[in-house]
Amino acid sequence: MSLSPGVLAVARRELQRMRARVLYPLLVVVLPLVSFALLWTIFSAGTIRNLPVAVVDLDSTPLSRQLARMLDATPTMTVTQHVGSGLAAEELMLRGEIYAAVLIPRDLERNVLRGAPASVILYRNSQLLVPSSLVRRDAMAAVGTLSAGIEIRQREARGETPAAARDRFEPIRTDRHALFNPWLNYVYFLVSSLLPTMLQIFVIIAAVHAVGIELKEGTGPEWLAIAGGSVTRAVVGKLMPYTAGFLLVAWFMIAFTIRFMGVPLHGDLGTLLVGTTLFILAYEGVGVVLAAWFANLRFATSAAAFIVTPAFAFVGLTFPTMAMPPVAQAWGALLPLTHYLRLLVEQIMRGAPPAASLPELGALAAFVVVTPLIATRRLGTVLRDESYWGRL
Amino acid sequence: MGALRVCATEFRRIASDPGALLILVGAVVLYAFFYPLPYVPEVLKEVPTVVVDLDGTSLSRRLARMADAHELIRVVGRSPDLVDAENAVRRGTAGGILEIPAGFERSVLRGDSATVGLYADAGYFLVYRQVTTGLLEVTRTLSAGIEIRRLEASGMPPAQALVARDPLPVVDRPLFNPAEGYASYIVPSILVLILQQTLLIGIGLLAGTAREQDAAPQAAGPLTVVLGRTLTYLVLYFAHAVFYFVVVYRVFGFPNRGDTATALVFALPFLLAAILLALAVSTVFRHRETALQVLLFTSLPAVFLAGFSWPKEMIPTWLNSISLLLPSTPAIAGFLRINQMGASLPDVAFEWRILWCLVGLYFALAWWAQVRSTRRFSVEARSVFTNHGSMQ
Repeated sequence: MSLSPGVLAVARRELQRMRARVLYPLLVVVLPLVSFALLWTIFSAGTIRNLPVAVVDLDSTPLSRQLARMLDATPTMTVTQHVGSGLAAEELMLRGEIYAAVLIPRDLERNVLRGAPASVILYRNSQLLVPSSLVRRDAMAAVGTLSAGIEIRQREARGETPAAARDRFEPIRTDRHALFNPWLNYVYFLVSSLLPTMLQIFVIIAAVHAVGIELKEGTGPEWLAIAGGSVTRAVVGKLMPYTAGFLLVAWFMIAFTIRFMGVPLHGDLGTLLVGTTLFILAYEGVGVVLAAWFANLRFATSAAAFIVTPAFAFVGLTFPTMAMPPVAQAWGALLPLTHYLRLLVEQIMRGAPPAASLPELGALAAFVVVTPLIATRRLGTVLRDESYWGRL
Repeated sequence: MGALRVCATEFRRIASDPGALLILVGAVVLYAFFYPLPYVPEVLKEVPTVVVDLDGTSLSRRLARMADAHELIRVVGRSPDLVDAENAVRRGTAGGILEIPAGFERSVLRGDSATVGLYADAGYFLVYRQVTTGLLEVTRTLSAGIEIRRLEASGMPPAQALVARDPLPVVDRPLFNPAEGYASYIVPSILVLILQQTLLIGIGLLAGTAREQDAAPQAAGPLTVVLGRTLTYLVLYFAHAVFYFVVVYRVFGFPNRGDTATALVFALPFLLAAILLALAVSTVFRHRETALQVLLFTSLPAVFLAGFSWPKEMIPTWLNSISLLLPSTPAIAGFLRINQMGASLPDVAFEWRILWCLVGLYFALAWWAQVRSTRRFSVEARSVFTNHGSMQ
């Protein structure tokens, strides 16, 4: 398929149409950039730090005060309130003012010094899953450090040398490592996958609109005539301005992710760019299929909404694919976004060789090849048949 | 009475427009069952884990067996070294690695300590969390058993040994979502957002259609029209809210410690604010499909601004304040605490007040917008009339 005059003529016609309505620059450039900026601003803090927690100190001893200070010193927590009872802490949690409360029972220090059983209780709001697990991790670590210190002192009191006490207090220790995201910065990962999730919405909406509006307004024959009667040339020419616009936005998105947000690119930039191009073409393809088969701009847009709005839940980044029911796994596999985000994780985070991303590139390419096969004939029919025009 | 007539007419208008019906009723039901699909298993368990056993002793094998027996971990294979194991994680066949160093058993038997390596895929938050939680618990359990036996061997009574090995343990009490289910974490808030977004898009679609067809606004004063139409959507969406909080919650078994009556009282200002916002915004749309096209993308940022998945403390203050203009922001915060945590109305007083302020603000805007569009229509109608006059 060469850039025959028909293709360029259609592209010129499309550019003229795009100048006439503010919707086009909105969908292709302005709103995608606004959504990127919005998401970046939301997550600009980078890490979750200093979440408000309460301490219920029923002991009021040097040990309990030391514990409160150690909790306050953890990265995730800030002790914002000291309250007198568990009930008061619960009240604060119900009002949304604290994420967790640590209850230090009466006689804690006395029991610890006597070698009697004692414990502190961590109440955390696990409805807020992510902050709550970070609070748990840090609270466990802070109290664990304190507990280990006490144990070492007690061992020394029983006559062990300081060195021996430090060696023996925990026979098996652990050394935790985060693979492929050495900063353990959840945000790097989340934002770099949310931006393409926003982009797919605009690409599919624009593609459905570009084709669907011709049916709505009954301008199909004129469009085809300019393309010399070829549906393929008509579609390629029409989508050319959109593809160019979205590619620029996508490159900006990648540059923004890598340069500005400082997400390290461990993999191959070329693979990433090829994948990004296929990603945009894939959603354009799906959009054309919807516009052609539903032959109703409003309904095709609703169908597109159904595909792209809940998509992030199905891609397996937050809740992993392996844990999903088979139906959800299958639906996820039918979304180009799933394959693109896998490619992103492989190339950006994991530093995989380009060959490792071949399955994802193949899947995206399959969308680009298959969607025209499904759409072209049908599109030719509905564009020429007046009974498909003007449907609401 | 005029408002009731407007209300009845609006109901008929929705019922006779398949596009509006699809969004205002169809999508509300469909999304409630489709969106939670990937999360139905709630908890990620049995994460595939690779063991790198450089020790090859009975103690190291015991640790591996204990890991496999943990509900969060499934040992899927052994690797000769860390590089090989990391490749398995990179390929996605494993989510974690347990590395047992050479000399592990010898150090432990000699009375010293040994350190095992825990590696988890940090590209996936949930995988990282489950792997580290599971492997940490397993190592702690084995370590505790060994230490207690050592202390007993030195002549300490068993009960005392138990206390001596961890003088200050933490009792972890996850509240409100004790199973830490993922669907229970995400879906209740998404349901609230679905109500708002379908209102914005559905009402926008009807307004765009009327504008496109140059249909006359209802024959009543602007105030009557606003009140009547608000009543229509309030009745319809109150039914949706009951359906969500009573039926959908039961179907998915979300924790619901709250009082449904409180939730429905709280729904009143939320629905009013969302409806009036939708009525005000809808007047800018000139085409049937425009609301769908330009409002679709707002769902994802609205989710992250609502504070349940990303802590509101981490969002810049100015953005938090602006986001309170979206009814979903205070509403999700309030509903979450009422439904999931059992909060009473006084506990959500802040959100309650914000929502009523929004009702006032958007009522004024919707009224003004209605006055404008009534005037615009009558001006257009008059100009058509005078044109006719001059032609004669």
